Formats: sequence, structure tokens, C-alpha cells
Amino acid sequence: MSAIRVADLVKTYGGRRVLDGVDLDIQEGEFYALMGPNGSGKTTLASIIASVRTQDSGVVVVHGKPPALARGLIGYVPQENFSSTELSGKENLTYFARLLGYSRRQAEQLTVEMLQKVGLYQDPGKRVGKYSGGMRKRLEVATAMFPGIRVLILDEPTTGLDPGARRSFFGMLQEKVDKNTTILLVTHIGSDAELASRVGLIDNGRIIAEGTPEELKRKYAVEDAITVETAAKTEGVVSVLKGFDVGGEVAELEAGYRVYSRNGDRVLADVVRTLDQAGHKVLRIEMGRPTLEDVFFRLTQKTLQEVTG
Amino acid sequence: MGQILAAYVRGLKEAVRDKATLFWTGSWPVIWLIIVTLTFVGDVPQEAVPYVRASMTVSMMVFALMLAGMSHLPAGIAWDRKNGLFAKLRSMPIKPYRDFIGRVFAVGTFALMAAAVVLLIGFALGARFTGSGVAIPQAIGFLLLTILASAGVGLIIGTLIRRPQGAVTTGVAIAVILAALSGVFAPVDLLPEPLQVFARVYPISSAQTSIVYLLVGSDAVGYDPLTSGQVALTIALSFALLLVGTLLYSKLGWRPD
Repeated sequence: MSAIRVADLVKTYGGRRVLDGVDLDIQEGEFYALMGPNGSGKTTLASIIASVRTQDSGVVVVHGKPPALARGLIGYVPQENFSSTELSGKENLTYFARLLGYSRRQAEQLTVEMLQKVGLYQDPGKRVGKYSGGMRKRLEVATAMFPGIRVLILDEPTTGLDPGARRSFFGMLQEKVDKNTTILLVTHIGSDAELASRVGLIDNGRIIAEGTPEELKRKYAVEDAITVETAAKTEGVVSVLKGFDVGGEVAELEAGYRVYSRNGDRVLADVVRTLDQAGHKVLRIEMGRPTLEDVFFRLTQKTLQEVTG
Repeated sequence: MGQILAAYVRGLKEAVRDKATLFWTGSWPVIWLIIVTLTFVGDVPQEAVPYVRASMTVSMMVFALMLAGMSHLPAGIAWDRKNGLFAKLRSMPIKPYRDFIGRVFAVGTFALMAAAVVLLIGFALGARFTGSGVAIPQAIGFLLLTILASAGVGLIIGTLIRRPQGAVTTGVAIAVILAALSGVFAPVDLLPEPLQVFARVYPISSAQTSIVYLLVGSDAVGYDPLTSGQVALTIALSFALLLVGTLLYSKLGWRPD
């Protein structure tokens, strides 16, 4: 059964089509990641599904109802840190529980349970202003996990989390998926999207590819990714690297370049040698299996960082 | 009711825990009260000094209420919008008017607490009030009207000014300018003629004058603010400001950027 169904969705801001005919079908209990750069329309899409915004045209249905009528089923966590820094974690959660209609007693009981679930019960009276970024995000995710919530919509929830906090965060999400909660994760981080059961890549307001992470990589990024960092970033380096890429393209990263090769193991030494002979000092070179970021690059010729940054 | 109470408790806790709010709404009027009661009574006959101090105490109580409604309330709205709280609330089964009622009650309670502190300081500085009996609940009624009118202006500012810093400065500026122009800081009969008319129309000024009239005496004000027409005008305009603020906030306050 569909938990979220979107058909031919259009949203325009100031004459620009932010969403340009989006179709989406997410099944109940599915963990779906919507991945794309800033400005691709993913936050707008999530906020329409969460009934925060309205569409210009098209259909959005959450568990068979328009989003505005399904608010009790939706747990939405926007990108911003919306919890009050002047209140404790317990007080913040009690506030949201009361808004959801729980009595004071029920709210306090639930709050304790939720704090335990997200690992914040050690110091329930501590003000959120003194929380780390990871603790605060876990608290905010807890506001979307009250009983009765069947669809969790998380917008860039791992921004600013350290690796440990990120691991425990995804562990928490997996528990929800195990209990048949549907998760829509909005992200521009490939390694986050890899953890989903299905991924939709969005660019310029359109879903450009969809499938499991493995399907996407098999279909669009069969090559190995070779990342090279040289002492200086020059045209000369780019021209050498072009010769090693299957399509003759070189992606410029924040530090270095990336090319794709069908037999990375064998060309790795050649890349170093050729750059060295051309007078370009190689500081670091590594080869990785294709990632979802590589898939995105293959489809758009843009890196997520390039567009995001 | 639970949703209103939730918004109320959250708003009140935030107000009493935020140092900036405590200073601007609580301490600032107190500092002014101390300065004016100690410096501006030099030419006043000795026997009238306690009543002048009482009049100044009322002014600063009203000023504290204005700051709470016109600065703290819109600042809270603007911050909550910027921090994504309204996006979160829009996704939940809650109506904006319930949040609005909770917020206004929280600001009202906090404002009354600030006014009580000002009153205590006023007593400590030698303010003497003559009003008793029915005058006291009547004065409290006018105090509540100033909260409603200030909250109305605050809701308008908080809805229209989207940036938190802009909302704070606009709120403080409007509170100070309107207070100065309408005789909150000085007896109405000392104002130029056009401003005396404004003081009678501006509901916060006329409510404040009514409180002074009731608790300090008719000599302390330049006109009778308790005529039925004047009282009706004060009540009507206070509720009108609140109504405009409520409608704007309900329609546009939660609108995403």
C-alpha cells in the first residue's frame, strides 16, 4: 500500500519551476531517500508532502488523504533547529506531545519513553541550549516519533552530526522502519542515501533516476572512481586526467579531481606515473567503488558539492 | 485547551529564562523608574512628591507591558519562524489561533510579573497611591487593556517583520516613540495640543491615564479619562488592535518564506 503518492506535482516560485511534474510512490514501511543538491527542489517537495506548503498543481496523498488531513500521521523534522534552547529536552518534548493532543500525564510518560529511545534520558532537565548538535537533532527527530505517526519526513537531518551520532541516528531510523513506519529522508549526502531501501535522485525539480542504491550504481556508475589530489590544481593536470576517464570528463572536487575508469586497479599506477612525468606532484590518489554521488555526477555532469557549495 | 496551555507554558518559561527579555521588559523600566523618581522631582512641592512618584510608577508599569507586547512577543514570533518552528507546527494538527492565544496569555502573564516588580520598586522609592475599593479592580482592568493593545501591535510587527532583530528593534522603537508622543512618560496636559488629542485616542495612553486617575487622583492628569465615551473608545480601540493583530497572525504569521 502507498504511504506517499505524488503525481505530476508542480510548484513555481517567482516564475521559476522549482518542482516540474514530480511523480513519486513510496510504499508503507519503506525507507526512501530523496537525494539532490541545494535548489533541486527536494526540500520544497518534502514540505508539500508534510503540508507545510501547498502545490500549484498535481496530486499529493499521504495514506490515502491530502496532507492537510493527514497531519496526525506525519512527523516532520525541518532542516532548521526548531527546539527551544531555553527549555530542557523533556520540556520541549512535552510541548509537542501536548500539541498532539496528549493529556499532561500521558505527555510526561511519553516524553520519558522518547528521551530513553533517543538516548537523552541521562539529564532530562538539561537545557537544549547546552546540547551538542547531535543531541539536539536526536531530540528534534524524537518530536516526530510519537505513537500514531506513520510517516517520518526528515530534511537534512545529519548535517553537523559526528560519525558516532550519525551511526546511532540511523540505528534509530532502522528501528522505526522495522515497525513499519515510512521514512522519507531528504539529503545531499550520498553515504546517507546509501542506507535507504530506495533512492530518488532529484535535479532541477525532476526525479531523474530512481531505484535501490545497488540498482542505481549498477545502471549508471559501473566504473571505478579514481580521486587524485595534486600539489596544484592546473589545466595541465586536467588534461592528463582526461585521458584516463571513460568519457573524457574530469570532475573537479574541493581538493583534487575525480575520473572514472572501467579497470581502476590497473590504471592507478599509470595515472601517478603520467602525472609525475608531466611534472605534477601527486599528493594522494585513491580508488573507490562507485557511490550514489558518482551516479548523480554521471547523470548530471555535476557533483553534489559543486552545486551545493 | 491542551494546545493553548502547551503554547502558554512554553512561552512563559522562555520569557522568564531569557536574559535579554528579562532585561528589556523587567529591568529597563525599573532603571528608568529609579532615574526619573530621583531626578525629576526637584521642583515638585515636597508633599506632592510621593504622588508624582506613584504616577511615574504607573507610567513605567505600562511601559513594561508595552515592551513585553510590542518587542518580546514579535521577537518570539520572528525567532520561531526563522528557526523552523512554524514549519514544524504547520505539519502538525494545530490551528494558529490556539498558538496565538497561548502566546498572548504567556506574554500577558510575563508582562504582569514585570509590572508587579516595577510596582514594588515604586513603593520602595516612596510612591503613594490614594485609590482604594473599586478603583483597584478598575485599574487592573485598564492594565489588562494595555496588554491586549500592546499584544495586538506586537502580533502585527511579528507577522510583518520577518527578521528577529528587525522585529525587536521595530518593537522597541514603536513602544518608545508612541509612549513619548502620547504622554505615557509625562502628564498629557504638558503635550502640544495635537498630541493631547492623540493621547486620548491612543488606547494605551488613555488606559494609563485612567489608571493614574483611579490610583493617584484627578490632579495628576490633565483630563477626565473615565467619561463613558472615553472609556468606550479605549476599550474598543484596544480590542480593535488585538483583532487586527490576530487576523494578520492567523492568516500570515505561519506562512513559509
